Formats: sequence, structure tokens, C-alpha cells
Amino acid sequence: MVILLIVGSIVIGFMVGVLFLGFSRKIKARIHWRYGPPLYQPIIDIVKLFHQESVSHGFLFDFGILLSLGGAIVTLLFIPIGNIVPLHGSGGLLVVLYLMLIAPLGIALSSVEAANPNVSIGISRKFILALGYEIPFLLVALSVMTNYGTTSFVEIVELQRASHWGIISMPLSGIALLLILPVMMGMKPFDQVGAPQEISSGPEVEYGGIYLALSKIQHIYLIFIDIALFVALFMGGGSEPLTFFMKMLPIFLIVLLISTVYPRFRIEQAFNYCIKWPTIIAFLGLLLVIWR
Amino acid sequence: MLLECTLLIGFGGAFLVYLLGKISARVRDFFAILLSVVLVVLVSLMYRTPGIELTYFSFLDYPLRLKMDWISWFFGIAVVSINLFAMIFSLSDMNHKKRVDLFYLLMLLVNAGMLGVVFSGDLISFYIYWEIMSWSTFLLISFKKEGWSAGLKYIILSIIGSFSMLVGMLVIYSQLGTFNISAIMEQMHTLSPGYIFSTLLLFSISFGIKNALMPLHTWLPDAYTESESPFSAVISGMLTRMGIYGFLLILFVIIGLGRYLEVGSGGYSFILSWLGAITIIMGTFIALLQNDAKKLLAWHGIGQGGYMILGIAYGSSLAVAGGIFHTLNHAIYIVLLYFSVGAVEYRTHTRDLNSLGGIIKKMPIAFMGALLGISGLIGVPLTNGFVSKWLLYKSLILNHSPFLAFAALIGTWGTILSVYKFLHNMFLGQLPEKYSNIKRAPFSMQFPIIVFSFTIILFGVLPGIPLNIIGKMMENMGFASMQVNIWGIVTEMGTLNTVNIFFAIILVVFGIYILYRIGFRSKRVTQEDTYAAGHPAPRDKYAYTSEFYAPLFREMKPIFREWVSIFFEKIVKFGGTLSDTIRKIYVGDLGTYVLYIVLFLAFLLILRMGWNLW
Repeated sequence: MVILLIVGSIVIGFMVGVLFLGFSRKIKARIHWRYGPPLYQPIIDIVKLFHQESVSHGFLFDFGILLSLGGAIVTLLFIPIGNIVPLHGSGGLLVVLYLMLIAPLGIALSSVEAANPNVSIGISRKFILALGYEIPFLLVALSVMTNYGTTSFVEIVELQRASHWGIISMPLSGIALLLILPVMMGMKPFDQVGAPQEISSGPEVEYGGIYLALSKIQHIYLIFIDIALFVALFMGGGSEPLTFFMKMLPIFLIVLLISTVYPRFRIEQAFNYCIKWPTIIAFLGLLLVIWR
Repeated sequence: MLLECTLLIGFGGAFLVYLLGKISARVRDFFAILLSVVLVVLVSLMYRTPGIELTYFSFLDYPLRLKMDWISWFFGIAVVSINLFAMIFSLSDMNHKKRVDLFYLLMLLVNAGMLGVVFSGDLISFYIYWEIMSWSTFLLISFKKEGWSAGLKYIILSIIGSFSMLVGMLVIYSQLGTFNISAIMEQMHTLSPGYIFSTLLLFSISFGIKNALMPLHTWLPDAYTESESPFSAVISGMLTRMGIYGFLLILFVIIGLGRYLEVGSGGYSFILSWLGAITIIMGTFIALLQNDAKKLLAWHGIGQGGYMILGIAYGSSLAVAGGIFHTLNHAIYIVLLYFSVGAVEYRTHTRDLNSLGGIIKKMPIAFMGALLGISGLIGVPLTNGFVSKWLLYKSLILNHSPFLAFAALIGTWGTILSVYKFLHNMFLGQLPEKYSNIKRAPFSMQFPIIVFSFTIILFGVLPGIPLNIIGKMMENMGFASMQVNIWGIVTEMGTLNTVNIFFAIILVVFGIYILYRIGFRSKRVTQEDTYAAGHPAPRDKYAYTSEFYAPLFREMKPIFREWVSIFFEKIVKFGGTLSDTIRKIYVGDLGTYVLYIVLFLAFLLILRMGWNLW
């Protein structure tokens, strides 16, 4: 039963992530007055990549990318997608906070085994950005856990269903998380990590073939996890997967529309953005929760 | 019987090793290892017999006592195990260095001193062993010529701490008339809150200095950095954490949990917790700015000490368990990290993070040690650091202290940044030309690294093993018993099941591995064979290591400075200026001195006349 749930959530996460990615390319194209690729283009890309030859720089290069994707998938298993939560009794939101770090850490270990300075610059940017968004994100997570008096993800969702959505009882925290969602997902104004025109895609520059495919899959899962976090923490989750996805869609659209019109920030600007308004709002949100 | 024997062997053996060193280096090495093994065995044998207390010596009719309970055993076994592996590590690290006999003597003396501290049953013995430990430490820190000023810094603060502890002991003695810890425990309730507060404060200063609690931490970074690597491991792993043992002793054994939480109507616990939280943030973020591998770890030593203090000072049962467990976990991974850095330094003769790089293929075992060490330091799930931090966070969040929890959590993210830089700049990225011929570390260095790497995973997947003993300690200290089983911890606040996480990760990674094998069409290329967008990066020219987080540093540097050291330096400067001004009175001219005397007499006369000049 547990195995079935695990496989189920892995497949669902992948399919929905791919759908979102295809959808995003379509929307972007329409904004640019283009026709755009078909919805299933990301799958075509991945299948193609699996058939290409690639180079490897050593053991850590292979291991890190596996670890990264593994970390992303295990994180997914802790998040309640509708009523599917394969690992509900193993630690809750606190574990998720930590597991979310394995995926970038895996990429960071894998890609730098090649002596390419672009990779190192990309990774350095990734960690600076991560520190930037973790400050407000941790404040938001703490206000949710303090508000509901539990660290269990499932209970947080159930408590929301019993009363009302988290965004209503903790509006400031919800807004703060919404403000840093694009940063967490690495979408356009905040895509300094893989900036293609500056540092040749940063950490991904050495990846080809299967490595690039695994890296893309990992990215798909991360996008799914970030949006799912918002839905589960602030929009009451969903009683079954379908409503959950319907709630995810508008959030993704908001982030997407921002990303289509904004150019890239510099890394200092991105860091300063994170530690300014989102942090202040998240801090006030936490104060509000304690004050009540 | 076993207790006295252990201490006797510990101290006697140290001097024996020194004397044997005068005869032959090989015999000395053999006996040093043998002695360390014997001590591990002796302390392990005591596992069955905790709860004894005995008088071992009478000095001027005053009985000096030893005790053995779970707290002592827990710290004792950690002390001797770390000592054993540090000794094995020194076999090759200290090879071909000067005054090795003295080094071994001092290492073993520190070890025996720490054993004495944790086995002491009265405050006099505690003080004596504490001093033996502190003075041997001083000699070890200033063992190298460069370490002289670091040693001086250490011993000055240490003496302040010792005096503070001595006064605290005298306060207790003046009121209760005994130094015996168990007798003090029983009579503590007769003391007024004011006395309890002053005792607590005096002992906290002493243990705070030892554990490098901000703002008493200034001795630590230089002391860790300038020591020989094996001793860096000992001092960071266990010696500094004698402060934690001291805090446990004074807070929960001597004063008692209930009374401790009432001191200053809870204000004392609040202040100590916040000092811990500030220590976490300042320690880890200053670590980020360091470019010396050992100094980076030293600042993490301060920061991680903050977690332990925070857990213990907070006083809820989960937090205290987390604090104690973190002490053990920290000892394991920081020792491992110092061993790895030591191995790298042994081969490359540098620990400058800006000039190393890419030696993963040259020293794979040291890399593995460093990788697992930093994983433990971050607290990546399935390494030991995760479980102790999880206990701490959980307790802080569910007891409605989200700001303390925030300090602890953000400290973790600061840790990730700095330890990644540590790993990247030493082992990953470009391999400089000058290191293309270095060899692997010798076996006596690799062996401790392998053992400690294994322990990190073991305690991360099966945290029940140490938590079981910590549960018994907690009962000794008057907490409710914890529900522990082999795979984790069960509380009314929620469960943590590390074995589940372990199998999930294994399953998933294996699944991906199969996928990966199916599409496996990669060929191995050298490290330099990279894509550079038409601008091939020449070797040794484009390593991105120095100023790794340059954009962040610009933001951080004004805030995260060593404020306390700057304050001390200001005081020193002020003292210098003041003395310089006073010195100007002594001009060396006889006539001026006569003038001083005449003026002074005139002043006295005027005074006598009652300021009535006319």
C-alpha cells in the first residue's frame, strides 16, 4: 500500500510538473505573440536527452545528480497531495524544511567536479539566493507551525479544513510566501543561478544527455514542491488530488506572469529584495500569530 | 575500585609514556595507543555499574569523592574514545616534529584531567581536575610558536573562569558547609533565591568561558586554529564541551530543574537561551567570512556550542535531550572535520581555502570524511546532527518560542553556505598544478576518518542507541523518562522515524539508479575537459574560490564582526594611552620633582587653612 502511494505520488508529481512546464512555455509564447511548442514538449525533450551521449567527470559527478533527484522525490513524499501522503508519520514540516536542501546540495556536489568556473559561480549564487529566501521562508514556516501548534503536515491541512484557509488566518505570512515563491522556484527575475547569457546556464553547463535529463526532472519536481507547499500551508490543501491541482494552477500562473515580463535582477539585488519586504512582512506575520 | 584505577592509570600512564619517549619513539607510540585503548575498555566496563559513589582520598580529613552516574559515563566514554582516535591520528601527524614526548604527555594529561572532571563527586576534586585540564590545554595551545598569543588569551580567560568558579564554590560552602555534590543537592532547597542566583551566575561565567558562550568566546578561534590538528580535534570535540558538562551539573544536578526554571522568575533561563541563540547566529555567520579552514571550523565550534546551550538552558525535556545529544554529535563530526583538514594540511602544508582546490581525486578518504562531517554539521537528514537539531527545533516551536527557533534554524542555513565553501575550496573545483602530485593520507590518518564517518551515519539512522543512554541521564537529572526506540523518538508531540526516511531515500535513489543505468551512455573525461562557451579556461587561472560569496560578503561584513574582540582591543588601547599619559609625570628632572613636592605642600597648607587664603 505504501509502495503504491509512493509510486503514485512520484508519477503524479512528475506528470503535473511536466504539464505546468509545457503550459508555461505555451503562455510565454502567447505573450510573445508566438504559437509555442506543444504541451508535452518537456517530455519530448527528456526522452531525447535520454538517448544522447554524455560526458562524466567522475564518481561524485554521477552520485550528486542521483542524490539531487532522490532528495527532490523524497521531499515530495512528505507533502500531502490531496489525500496522498506516503510518509505522514515520519517527522512532518521540519523534515521537509531540511529535505528541501538535499536537491540543491546534490547539484552543488555533482557539477563542481568539473573544473569549470561558470559552475562555481552558479553554485555560489544559488547559495546566496537560498540564504536570502530562507530567512522569510523560515519565518513563514514558523508562523504556520506556531499558529496550528503542530509540526505535522497532515494535521496542518486538516486544521485548515476544519476552520478556514491559512491565508485568511495568517494573511501576512501568506503574502510573504507568495512574494518569495518566484525566488524559490528560480523563475525569471530570480534566475541568476542558471543565467544562460552570463554564465552559460551555471551549474548545468557541464550536463549533457542523461545528466541534463535528470537535472531537468529534478527541477520539475522542485517547482511542483514549491507550489504544493503554498497550497498545503495556506490554501487548505485538497480533499483529493484534482482539487489540489486546481488550486496550484492560479499560483503558478501568477508566478509565470511575473516571470514573463521582468528581466533578470543582479544577485545582490535579488538578495536585498529577499531580506527586505518579504522578511519584514513575514516577521510581522509571525508577531501577529504570537500576539493572538 | 574501577574508578580509582581508571584515574590512576590515566595520570600514571601519561608520565610513563613521557619517560618511555626518552628511550624509544616506537615504544612510546605503542604505549600511548595501548594506554588509550585500556582507558576506553575500563570506561566501557563501567557501563554496568552506574550510580556508585566513593571516597578515594582524604586530604586534611576532608574526604575527596568520586562518582559514577549516567552523566559521567556518557561524557567519560566520549572523552576516552576521542582521545584514542586523536592518538592514532597523531602517530603520523606528529611524526618528525619536535618535542613529541611532551605533546603525548600533555594530550594524555588533558584526557585524564577531563576524566577526573566528569568523575568528580565533590567540588574540590572537580576544581583540581579542572585546573589540570586547563593548564595542560594552555601548554598544548601554545605548543607551536605561533600559538603563544592564542594560549595566553586562553589562559587569561580560563583563570577568570576558575576564580569565578572558586568564589561560587565558597558561596556554597559558606552556606551549606560541604563540597560534596550529593550533599549539596539535598540541602540546596535551604538556600535563599539570592544565593542560588549568585551561585548560578558565578558558575555560568566559568562554564560559559569554557564553552565559548558569547560574549566570553574570544579565546576560541585562535586556540583551535593554532593547535596541532589532533589536539584541535580533542579541544573542539570534548574539552570545550566540559562547559556543557558543567552546565548540566550546576543547572540540573546541583540546583535542580524546578529551582533553575524559577531563578529570576524564569528570566535566567530566558537570558541564557538568548545568549545561546545569539552565539548560534554570530558564530555561524562569522564562520562564513573565514578563509582558514581550521578557523572556519573553530567559529562553527562556537556556533554549535550555542545550540547546546540553547537546548540545555531552555529546560524542557526535549530541548535538554537535544542539547545533550548535540554535544555528542558535534563531538563526532567536528573531530572528523579536524581530522580531514589535518590530513589535507599534512600533505599540502596549507589550510588556506583560497589556494587549495580540486584534491578530491588525490585524497578521496579525506574528502569522504569532510563530506559526511559537513553533512552532520548542517544536520542533513540521516546524519547524526539532524536528530539532535530536530529535537531542539520541535521543542522550541511547540513551546511557543518561534524566535529562538528561528535563530536556530537560520544558523543552519548560514552553516550550509560556509561549509559548502569549505568543501568546495578544498576538494572541488580546479586542481592547482602544484598539488597534482600529492599522495593519499597515511593509514593512521584514514582509519580514524573512516570510523567517525561510519558513526555519523550510524547515529543518524539509528539515533536510539545514544538516545537510550541520554534518556537514562535525563532520569538522573529529574526529567520524565523519554520513550525511545532504536529508530527514533516517540513523544506526545510527534514522532521522528529516521529508518523510514532512510528506506525511502534508499528506495528512491535505487530507482533512479536503474533509470540512470538504462540511459547510461556517458564517457569519462578529465576534469579540465569542460565547455567554456568558446573561451577555454586555462589551468590555474580561473578557479573561482577566493571571495566565494563576494556579493553576500559586502552585505554581511559591517554586521558580522568580532565585536567582543574589538571591544577588548579598544580597552587595551585605552589602557595604553592612559598609562602613557600618567608616565609623562616622571620627567626625570630633579628640579621638577622638587616643584611637585613644594606644590603639594602648598596644597596641604591651603587645605589646613580651610581655603581661607586671606
